[in-house]
Amino acid sequence: MVGLDAGLLSRTARAQYAAMATLRWRMLANGLRSRRGAFELGARSVSLILFGFGGTMFGMVAGAASFYIALGNEWRLLPLVFWALGIIWIFIPVMMASFQEQFDLSILLRFPVSFGSYYLLYVVFGLADVSTILGALCLMGIWLGVTIARPELFGWTAAALVVFAAFNILLVRAIFAWIDRWLSERKTREIAGAIFMIFLLSLQLLNPALHQKRHVRPAKSMTQEQARELERESQQSRAEFFTRYGPWLKGADMLQQWLPPGLAARAVQQAEKAQPAQALLSLGGLGLWLLAAGGVLARRLRSEYRGEDLGSAPKREKAAPSRAIQLEAGWRLGGSSPIVALIEKEARSLMRTLPLLWALIVPVLMVLVLTSLFRGGVSGMQRISFPYALPLYVTYALLGFTQLLYNNLGAEGAGIQLLFLSPTPIRTVFLAKNLLHSLLFLLDALLAGILASLRLGWPSGVMLAATAAWVLFALPCSLAAGNILSLRVPFRINPGRIARQRGSQANVLSSMLAQLVMIIVGVLVFVLCWAWGDLWLAVPLFLMLAVVAVYGWARVLNNVDAIANRQRDALLATLMKDSGQ
Amino acid sequence: MNVAAIQTHGLTRRFGELTAVEDVTLSVAPGQFFGFLGPNGAGKSTTIKMLTGLLEPSAGRIEILGQPFAAGALDLKRQIGVVPEGMALLGRLTAPEYLRYVGRMYGLDRKTTNQRTVELLDFMQLAGESRKLVTDFSHGMQRKLAMAAAVIHGPKVLFLDEPFEGVDAIAAGMLKTMLQGMLNKGATIFLTTHVLEIVERLCSHVAIISKGRLVANGSLEELHDGVVSSLPDAEKEQRLTLEEIFLSIVGAGGREPAQELSWLA
Repeated sequence: MVGLDAGLLSRTARAQYAAMATLRWRMLANGLRSRRGAFELGARSVSLILFGFGGTMFGMVAGAASFYIALGNEWRLLPLVFWALGIIWIFIPVMMASFQEQFDLSILLRFPVSFGSYYLLYVVFGLADVSTILGALCLMGIWLGVTIARPELFGWTAAALVVFAAFNILLVRAIFAWIDRWLSERKTREIAGAIFMIFLLSLQLLNPALHQKRHVRPAKSMTQEQARELERESQQSRAEFFTRYGPWLKGADMLQQWLPPGLAARAVQQAEKAQPAQALLSLGGLGLWLLAAGGVLARRLRSEYRGEDLGSAPKREKAAPSRAIQLEAGWRLGGSSPIVALIEKEARSLMRTLPLLWALIVPVLMVLVLTSLFRGGVSGMQRISFPYALPLYVTYALLGFTQLLYNNLGAEGAGIQLLFLSPTPIRTVFLAKNLLHSLLFLLDALLAGILASLRLGWPSGVMLAATAAWVLFALPCSLAAGNILSLRVPFRINPGRIARQRGSQANVLSSMLAQLVMIIVGVLVFVLCWAWGDLWLAVPLFLMLAVVAVYGWARVLNNVDAIANRQRDALLATLMKDSGQ
Repeated sequence: MNVAAIQTHGLTRRFGELTAVEDVTLSVAPGQFFGFLGPNGAGKSTTIKMLTGLLEPSAGRIEILGQPFAAGALDLKRQIGVVPEGMALLGRLTAPEYLRYVGRMYGLDRKTTNQRTVELLDFMQLAGESRKLVTDFSHGMQRKLAMAAAVIHGPKVLFLDEPFEGVDAIAAGMLKTMLQGMLNKGATIFLTTHVLEIVERLCSHVAIISKGRLVANGSLEELHDGVVSSLPDAEKEQRLTLEEIFLSIVGAGGREPAQELSWLA
C-alpha cells in the first residue's frame, strides 16, 4: 500500500483533488439523467449569467470611479472604493443567505484527507458563490480603471487587489463558519439574540443624538426666505457636527488606513508616489490581515476536521429530576387539532433550525444597515427624504422569508415520511405552515416597518395603506408559489448550518422569478397611480389583485394533496437524502 | 367471513427499466405476526413502502383490513402504524414533543396523547431523556422512539421495517414484549428484518422475496416441510433452522471472499 503523504500538493492530495473534481463532474452529469437535474443545470446557468451581468455593472461603476480617481490624482478617495467593495463582499452573502447554496465538504472527513487539503478544498469549492463573482468583477473593474489611467501602476494594483480578494474570501468564510458555530449552541444563540436586541435598541438611542438637526428638508410649501433660513441652519448644524465629531472622524480615518481596504488603497497610493518600500509594507500589512482571517477560519475548520458535527451540536440541559416536570416543561398551544400540533411543531423546529432563524433575523438587521444609506451617512450630505422606504423594507422582509415560504418542507428531513403515513391531509400540513409563516412574516414586516419609520420618518397614510394592500396581494402569491415549489423542487435544509447548505438552484431561481413578478406588479401599480396623480388608487388596485391572489392560493392549497402524491417518490428521496433527522 | 388484514394482488413496482417488485400476491390474516424476508436489494423495503403509502405501486392492488388502500385513504391510515426505514423522526424536537405531535397528527385528543406519551416514554425507558433533542439520541433510542410513535394511536396493523437494527438486547427484549402484547390483543404485525432468529421466535408465517419476486410463502412449518421434502432421503429427518431454510430457498449467492480478494488482511 502506498503511504499517505500529507503535503498540500503531495501525490495523495492531488489524487484527492482530482477525485473531488471528478465527483463534482459526475454529480453534474448524473444529475442530467433526470428532468429535475436538467432543470437545475439550466437554472444554475441562468443564475450565473444574471449574477455575471450584475457583477459586470458593479465592476463598470468601480472601474469608472477608479479611473477618474487615478486620472484626477484624487488618491485620497481610493479607500472609499475599496471600502464599498469590502462591504458588498461581506454583506451580499448575509443578504443572499436565502438564495445561496454550497457544497458541504464534511463528507470528506471519512477519508484520509489532510487538514491542509480539507482547508484548500473548503476555500476553492466556494469560489463560484455570488459574492466572489461580484467581488472579482469589481476588482477587475478597479484594476482596469487604474491601469488605463496610470499604466505604470498595473503590477502594484494587481498585487493589492489579489491580496485584498484573498482576504475577503477568507473573511466571509470565517464569518459564516463562526456564526454557524456560535448559533448552533442554545446558550450562545440566546446570548447572541440578547446582544442583537441591545444593539437594535442602542442604535435607536444613538440615532437622535447623532442626527439631531441634520435631517430636515425644505418642504414644497416653504417660502424662499424660509428655505434659505433652513439652509443656513443646516449649514450651521453641519459645522457644529464637524466641530464636535471632527477629531473622531480624523481618528476613524487614521484607523481605516490600517484596516484591509485602507491598506490595499494605500499600497496603490504609495506605489503611485514612487515609494515601493512603503507600498510593500502596506501590502505586508494586508498580508497579515489575510493570515489573520485565514487563521480564524483554520481554527474553526480544525474543529470540524476533528469531527465536530454542528447538525447535532445544540445540547440541552441535563435531565431534570422529576419526570412529570420534564413532560410539562416549555410552552404549548391549546387544542387537539392537527393544525395546532403542526403549528406547535413548526414553531419549535424553527427556533432550533439555524438557517430559518437566520432568515427571520436578517431582514431586521438589514433594515438597520440600509436605512443608514438614506440618513445622510456621508458627511455633509442632506438627509434624503424617502417616501418609498416602507414598501421597500417590507419587500425586503418578504425576500428574507424565501427559504421558509419557497422550501417549506426543507427542514422536515426524515419526518417527511410521517406526513404521508398519517391520516392528516397534506393540505392541513400546508395550511398550518402557511398560517405560521404568514404570522411570522407580518411580525417581521411590522418590526422592519417600525424600525424604518423610526429612522426615516413615519410614512404617509396613503403609503401605509398601499403597502398593506400590496402585502395582502404579495403574501398569498408567495404562499401559493411557495407551496408549489416546495413540492416540486424542494431541498433538504441542514438545521445546524447557515452556510454550506446543499440547495437547489431551480428552487432558488424559480423563487426569485416569482418574487420579481410580484415586485414588478407592485412597482407598476405604484408608478401608474403616481403618474395618474393619485396614490390612493393603488389601494383598491392591490386589494383587487389580493382577491385574485387569495383565490389562487386556495386553489393551490386544495391541490397540494394531489401534487404531493404525484411528487411523493422524489420528495422522500430528496428530503431524506443523508438525513440525520 | 374473516377478511385478511393485509392483502396484495399482483403488486409491482418499476423504477425505469428496473423492476424492484414484481407481481407479489400475498395475504396476511388478522392477528398474524408475519415475517417478510429477503436478501439485500430483494424488494422488502419497496414492498413495505407500497403497503404503507410511501410509494405508489406501478401495478397491482393493496387491501388493508378489507378496504382498498391508496395514499388518500385517510381513515385507513388511522388503523395503521409504521416504523419506516428512515424512522420518520424530527431531530429538532424532544421525545415528548415528537410523540405529542404524532399523536395529534393521528387524530388523538390532547389528553389521550399526553397520557400515552407519558406511558410510552416510561415503557421505552426514555422518560429520563425527555429534555434531549431527538438528534442527540443514540441509534437505539431513536428506534425505540420510532416504535413508540408507531403505536401511540393503537393501530390494528403494524408495519415494521428493520425495527431491531442497532437495538441492544435489553431494548430488543422490551420491544418483543410489547409486540407480543399487541398480538395478544388481536393486532396484525408485518415485519421485515435480517435477524432470522427474531423471525423464528416471533413470527407464525413467513414470506420470502428474492429479486423482486415472492419465492416462498406460508407458515414456518410449511416452509420447513417444503425444503425438507426436496432433500435426499437420508437428510429428511433433520430439523432445519430458519437460516438454513432461507439459504436453501434463496441460495447463498456469494463467493468465499478470502479466496478471491487476496489483498485483504
